[in-house]
Parts: sequence; C-alpha cells; structure tokens
Amino acid sequence: MPGRDLTKRRGRFTKEDWSVYSFLIPGAILIILFSYIPMFGLVMAFQNYRAGDNIFDLANAKWAGLKYFKQYLGSIYFTRTFTNTLRLSVLNLIFGFTMPIVFALLLNEVRNLRFKKSVQTISYLPHFISTVVVAGMVISFTDMNGLINNFLSLFGVQAQEWLVKAKYFPTIYTITNVWKGFGFGSILYFSSLSSIDPQMYEAARIDGANRWQQIRYITLPSLAFIIAVQLVMKTGQILQSNRDLILLLYRSSNATMSDTISTYIYRQGIEGGKYSLATAVGLFSSAISLVLTFITNTISNKISGYGLW
Amino acid sequence: MKNINSSKKNRIREGSKTANVIIYSIAFLLALICLYPMYYVLILSLSQPRAAATMQVYWVPKGFYLGGYEKIFGDKLLWSSYLNTIMYAAAEMLLMLLTCSTFAYALSVKTLKHRKLVNAFILIPMYFSGGTIPLFMMVMKYGLYNTPFSLILVGGYSIWYIILIKSYFSTIPETLREAAKIDGASHYQIWLDVYLPVAKPILAVIALYTIVNVWNSWFNAALFLADQKIQPLQLYLRRVLVQDAVDLTVELATAEEMRAAQENAISNSQLKYTVIIVSSLPMLVAYPFFQKYFVKGVMLGSLKE
Repeated sequence: MPGRDLTKRRGRFTKEDWSVYSFLIPGAILIILFSYIPMFGLVMAFQNYRAGDNIFDLANAKWAGLKYFKQYLGSIYFTRTFTNTLRLSVLNLIFGFTMPIVFALLLNEVRNLRFKKSVQTISYLPHFISTVVVAGMVISFTDMNGLINNFLSLFGVQAQEWLVKAKYFPTIYTITNVWKGFGFGSILYFSSLSSIDPQMYEAARIDGANRWQQIRYITLPSLAFIIAVQLVMKTGQILQSNRDLILLLYRSSNATMSDTISTYIYRQGIEGGKYSLATAVGLFSSAISLVLTFITNTISNKISGYGLW
Repeated sequence: MKNINSSKKNRIREGSKTANVIIYSIAFLLALICLYPMYYVLILSLSQPRAAATMQVYWVPKGFYLGGYEKIFGDKLLWSSYLNTIMYAAAEMLLMLLTCSTFAYALSVKTLKHRKLVNAFILIPMYFSGGTIPLFMMVMKYGLYNTPFSLILVGGYSIWYIILIKSYFSTIPETLREAAKIDGASHYQIWLDVYLPVAKPILAVIALYTIVNVWNSWFNAALFLADQKIQPLQLYLRRVLVQDAVDLTVELATAEEMRAAQENAISNSQLKYTVIIVSSLPMLVAYPFFQKYFVKGVMLGSLKE
C-alpha cells in the first residue's frame, strides 16, 4: 500500500511520533514563555521604551538605536560597575576557588574517619543558611558593637562600622562567599580523592616518600584534571558576580566598591523604571559572558578534550 | 639498626606527630568557624535581654530567657510567610519533576524526530538569556505579576535537570521499553510505570535541590511579588534583617508591653537573632540526614559542568 509507505518515510510524523512529542509540551511551554520570549524582549534595549508600550509592536516602536549602550558606556557607572564586578569575581576566583581544594587536601590527610566525617558535615552547614540570613548576620556582626569589633578589640583594633566603609567591602564580600561555599564546594574534590587507589600511596611510602611528596606527586596530579576544568568554567562566569549577596550588602555608602553590573541593572531597571537602559546593560554583559564562555570552553577542549560542547 | 629503620618507616606511614597535630587543629578550627556564627546567634537569642543587649555573650547563654521566642511565635506574618515558602517549595518541586522528567523521556526515545532541533532548543537558553528586565516585563505582560504563579512557573523548569534526568534515563536498557510496548503499554504508561520508578534516585536529588533552592532564594520573589501576604519567608527576613524596615520590638508589642519593655527591654537585635534561629532551624536540623543526596547531586553534576 502506497499510503503505508508514506507514513513510514523519515520526517513524516506518525501517531507514535506525536505521542513522543506530547512529552515535550510541559517543559517546552515554560522554556518558550520564560526563556525564549524574554530573549526577544531584548529589543527593548534598542527602543525608547515607556511603561505600557508594546515591545513587540516593531512598526510603531520608538527606536533608540544604540543610544542606551552609548549612554552606559560613556557614563561614570560603566568604569565603576565593570571594575567592581571584575574585582569581586577575581577575588572570588582566587579564594573561593582555591579554598575548597585546600580544604579537601587537608581533610584527606586526616586518618580518623569519624573526625573527618564530622568536620565534613559541619563544613556544609553554611551552604544551608539562606543568603538573606547570612547577609543579616554579616550586617549585625560588623556593627559598631557587633561580634567582629568585640573580637578585634582583643587585639586593640579600633571599633568601626565595617560594612559602611567602601574600602572593606571586597574583603567582607569575599570572606562571606568563601565561608558560605568552601565546604560544599569541596564535595567534588572529596569524591575525586576517594577514587585514588590506596596502593599508590602504599607504593610511595615504601619508596620513602614523605607526606608532602605524596600530596605533590599523587594527590595533586589526580585532581589536576578536575581543577583545570573547574577553573576554566569559573573563568567563563567572571561577569556573573553573586548578585543576591551583593544586593543585600549594598549600601549607598559602600557603593563605590559594591556597585556591580547586576546591582546597577536592578537599581536602574526595577527601582528606577529605566527599562531600556537596564536591558541594554544586561545585553552588553551577557554578550561578553557568551564570548568568555566560548573562549574558555575552547581552551578547555584544547587542554583536556573536555568541554561543554 | 634494623629497629631504627623500621620505626622510621612507621613514622612515615603515620605521618609525623607535629604534622598531625597541625592538620587536626586546622580542621577543627575550620569546623568551628563554620559552626560558631550560628551558635553565637543561638546563645544570644536565649540569653537574658540585659546580657544580650551588651552583646557580651560568647560561649554559653547568660541566663535563660524564652521571651524572644514567645514574641516571635506571635508574629502572624512570619508564619504566613513560612507557610508560603512551604507551598512554593512543594509546587515548584512537583512542577520541576513533571516538566523535566517528561521532556527527558521524549529525549530518551531513540526514534525522536528532529532530535538536533530539540537539542538546540534546550541548549540555547543554557548559554543565553534575556536577563532580569525582559523576564520581569514578560511576567507583567502575561498578567502573572503579584500572583503565586509567577514564582512557581519561572522556577518550575531547569534545562540542567532535564539533561541530568536524560542521562540517567539513557542507562535504562531499551529492551525494557520494547517489552512494555509489546505488552501494549503506551508511552505514558512506560514513563509512569517503568522510567520514573527506576529514576527515583535522581528524582530525589532534584527534588531536594529544588526545595533548598526555593528555601534560599529571594530575588525572583522580590521581582514578582509585591503583596506581603503571598511573599515567601526570605522576603520577610530581608525586611527584618537587612532593610531594618521592621522594628520587631514595636511591631510585636501591645501598649502595656511597651511600658514594661522600658524596664526589661529586649533589644531589636536579640529578636532578629531569634528570627534567624526560628527560620533556619528546620533546614539546619534536616541537612545532615539528606547530605548523601547532595553529595550524589554534586557528583552527577560534575559529569558535565
């Protein structure tokens, strides 16, 4: 029968195909509504959008061209938000990235299993404290008569309001981020460490290798691969600072150090109603992020043959 | 001579005493640093108001006082926010499991038509998004602003989880599906009765990650929900702990308490600490029991991140 042949041809949808496709529907609806359509909403960046305008009515849109990109790139906020974002991300990369590795290496040297497990479990605790509560604790602890000043007074340090001083913001932010994440971040390395063959250490000891040499020649090389991949990925995300924490610790008094691209977008767009400007800034930063991800991924593929695509 | 040699070998095996002391002390110190801030908040919340006001409580509570907790338990807004968070967590988790497991099932079917197109469809949003403002505008446009659905729908899918479930599904032998088909089962039945039960471990991981994520996040709620009645716990906490918008001593006091408060004033910061304990305790008590799932999740995630 010719009809039967047609339905069997590739590219024709059979009843079977449709029933498989029906499984895509719930996810696809949400992905279209909240991932794809907002992408088209980016045309706002090139329009003089006023509240109530129809973004997609392209014929009647008041086009602004690159006005808002120029406005951002030409303002003092560009240098400020860009350097602040980079500064906080680089600090986070230096400390937030290395601490989990150092911690995993340290605990790997602990032989008492119960002690090791307890420390591990306790180190995950900050991950399960919400960002808002962590920020609340930071605000309270760095207060004039807070925990930090009480502690530092033991060493004769003058009490002060740490958070409102812009120059301390990067330190406070980095310490908070590292504290919240180092334990949970080390899980990945623990699992790699547990897969090292104990016989390798045994052999090294018989050859007279001391503890440092064992770490240097067995433990670190076995982590090198995963460290390299993680480093490359983290570098690709360098423009995506921890918005949720920064917004909570942001004060107008520390803005010279805490105002980042994401807080700027929030203030201009959500609080200030300058939707087109905020969208332009967002588009600018995600375009750079995309390029960075692409570059770092290519590097990752080159060095390890392992990448996102 | 032989004796010395063997003891030296032993020392290398065990590591030197000093090195061990240093390693154990640093590990202990790190654990203390993780634990102490929360402990400090706990003992301050339990101390006598007078002692707590001086903030000079470091190791054990000074006196014992539950007045702060009594006050906080009377705060209706706290409890309704708590309830909202539980509702959001349950709804987002169920929606997440539904959308991700169905999408992943379709991807696992070998005969899926236009597979490249479907793959591209989920990969593009992984690397590029419209960003905060366009998402906000669309939620307004859809008429979801200031309704619970905004939060639930936006948080009800994750491309990353689709990929995780799909890679788990692909470990299920194809013969299982074929056998079920020969028995006359539809794809829906195969998904429900064969694939979902087998994938329980990964579904549990995703459910827990989603719950913790809802529990912790505040940004989307701040964007979409203006009405305090439908706001989750974290926004209540933000008003109290971060924005200092609420003075709990005033908020929760009756007139006569205000007079009594002059004498035995419980400070706003002690009440804040009490709120922190009340709001964080469930998660902190629960996580040690669930940590193996999180460990599993991190390991699965590292396969391709």
